Amino acid sequence: MRSTSNTIWAVFGLALILLLPAFAGGQWVKIFTSTTTFAMAAAGAGFLYTRLGMVSLVQVGLMGVGGWVTLRLNHAFNFPFEINLMVAGAVTMFLGNLIALPALRMRGLYLALITLMFAAGLDIVFTAKQFPNGADGFWGVGTTFAAEMRRPIFAQSDAAYLRYTMLWLVIGFVLIELHRRMAPGRAWALIRKSEAAALASGVNVTLYKTWAFGLSGLLAGLGGGLLAGSLGLLDAATFRASESVMLFALVIVGGARFWYGAVISAVLFRVVPGLLNNWGVDADLSLVIFGAALLHAVMSAPDGLAGQINGAVRALFSGRKSPENKGAKA
Amino acid sequence: MISMENLTVRFGGVVALDHIGADFTANVSGLIGPNGAGKTTTMNVISGFLDAHNGHVIVDGADLVKLPPHKRVHWGLRRSFQKEQIANDLTVRENLMAITDHLHGSRADKRADLERAADFAGVTDILGKMGRDLNTFERRLTDVARCVIGHPKMIMFDEPAGGLTPEETERLGDLILGIHDLTGAKVLVIDHDVELIERICAETLVLDFGKRVAFGPTSDVLRDPAVQAAYLGIEVEEEHA
Repeated sequence: MRSTSNTIWAVFGLALILLLPAFAGGQWVKIFTSTTTFAMAAAGAGFLYTRLGMVSLVQVGLMGVGGWVTLRLNHAFNFPFEINLMVAGAVTMFLGNLIALPALRMRGLYLALITLMFAAGLDIVFTAKQFPNGADGFWGVGTTFAAEMRRPIFAQSDAAYLRYTMLWLVIGFVLIELHRRMAPGRAWALIRKSEAAALASGVNVTLYKTWAFGLSGLLAGLGGGLLAGSLGLLDAATFRASESVMLFALVIVGGARFWYGAVISAVLFRVVPGLLNNWGVDADLSLVIFGAALLHAVMSAPDGLAGQINGAVRALFSGRKSPENKGAKA
Repeated sequence: MISMENLTVRFGGVVALDHIGADFTANVSGLIGPNGAGKTTTMNVISGFLDAHNGHVIVDGADLVKLPPHKRVHWGLRRSFQKEQIANDLTVRENLMAITDHLHGSRADKRADLERAADFAGVTDILGKMGRDLNTFERRLTDVARCVIGHPKMIMFDEPAGGLTPEETERLGDLILGIHDLTGAKVLVIDHDVELIERICAETLVLDFGKRVAFGPTSDVLRDPAVQAAYLGIEVEEEHA
């Protein structure tokens, strides 16, 4: 059953990577690329929440850092895009490690507030200094500059670049799954159960908590770097602290326990406002929809939309009716 | 030998352990006392979860109090908790691997060690079962397997028989008795089940309000009037009241 389900998801994912860029036109390619990059950050936040029960409200801020580093390196040096991206990921991984330091002492609401403070700090820096656009100096910001943003040679077009970001997202999911199946995943499971139990099993709690935040930061940074590669110019408004809060809320709505929950979260985060705009409706209406969805998730769907999809698929494969169908029949 | 020397723990003005000393020479020893006597505090100090204000715990020449908690596990200390700590989203095998992951040795050695521990505790058939699907006894057996894995030198069980039927308690007692032959480790057991303590522990330390009330061969200790007054007698009187 599990292998069948995995095969179906793999085929679906492959079809999506091949077909979506080919059929999405105009601005939708950019929107889907942006969605994919935010899915990476959402995967990091979801992984941290489900594996360790820790809330990070700084993911979008770290995306901003990843984007900043990628742009800065692109304009300052002639490195290939991948090198810039890797350095951006390394920087945000290090920042994630730094953010983990208070996590060693705090948890729950207090930890969430600490990460929110980090996000607010980054928000202020981004607003004050903006993102590099090719000018001179450390900050690299000028009023009349718009230097070229290099992309990988095999992903020059928007459609090819969308495929490229989707591949990175797959790599991100694989990285998380590998961690889950190996020693870090087992250590995190024990830490989530109880830190005393983890210590009694020989787990270095400090190391593994720091590691988890680093991985989460890495994914956010890669997402930010890929977003920079897509747009060429970044805006501070994209990385507001409030956006980090919104992304985390949508991670809960999408379903943090499932990898495709991150995709659903990012789709809600980026595509729904775009759709509303297309229909001539104020995109801010999405906030009301997300609020209602969060209420629904908290009250009746703790595993989010992904959990409900998973339940329905399981019911379908096991030949049983899902609770919804039973309800409809009754 | 497990040697506790002058072990003292204070929480503000409350003295949780008051200069406790005892030399456990038996393969399986007991630690009993009424609620609040300081039994779990003793275990937490030995585990490194609480800092001792004063004193030492010396096993095989190593002073455990000086090691960080996770290093004590590397040294060979294992423990179980009153409420067993099995991760629900890991299989029994993964719960055991969570300990071998942090020990030295080749993968083959670790695998063999895991299988030996699982076989001893009788959980070989449920190695693939998820933690959330285990019943109370299976969780306890998994706890035993976790404790005997990786060449331990000292193992502590905190109320291992809690929630078990008499038959399950008897089987658990047999397992605990077999641990020294399997691993060479010294075992320290806390439990309120005096019958279990009497059956498996050759010597016992009795605490009350953080003070040592008695220490020696279990049968002698349980007949000690001071122990009966502090522990057994008072509880019986209260039940009859």
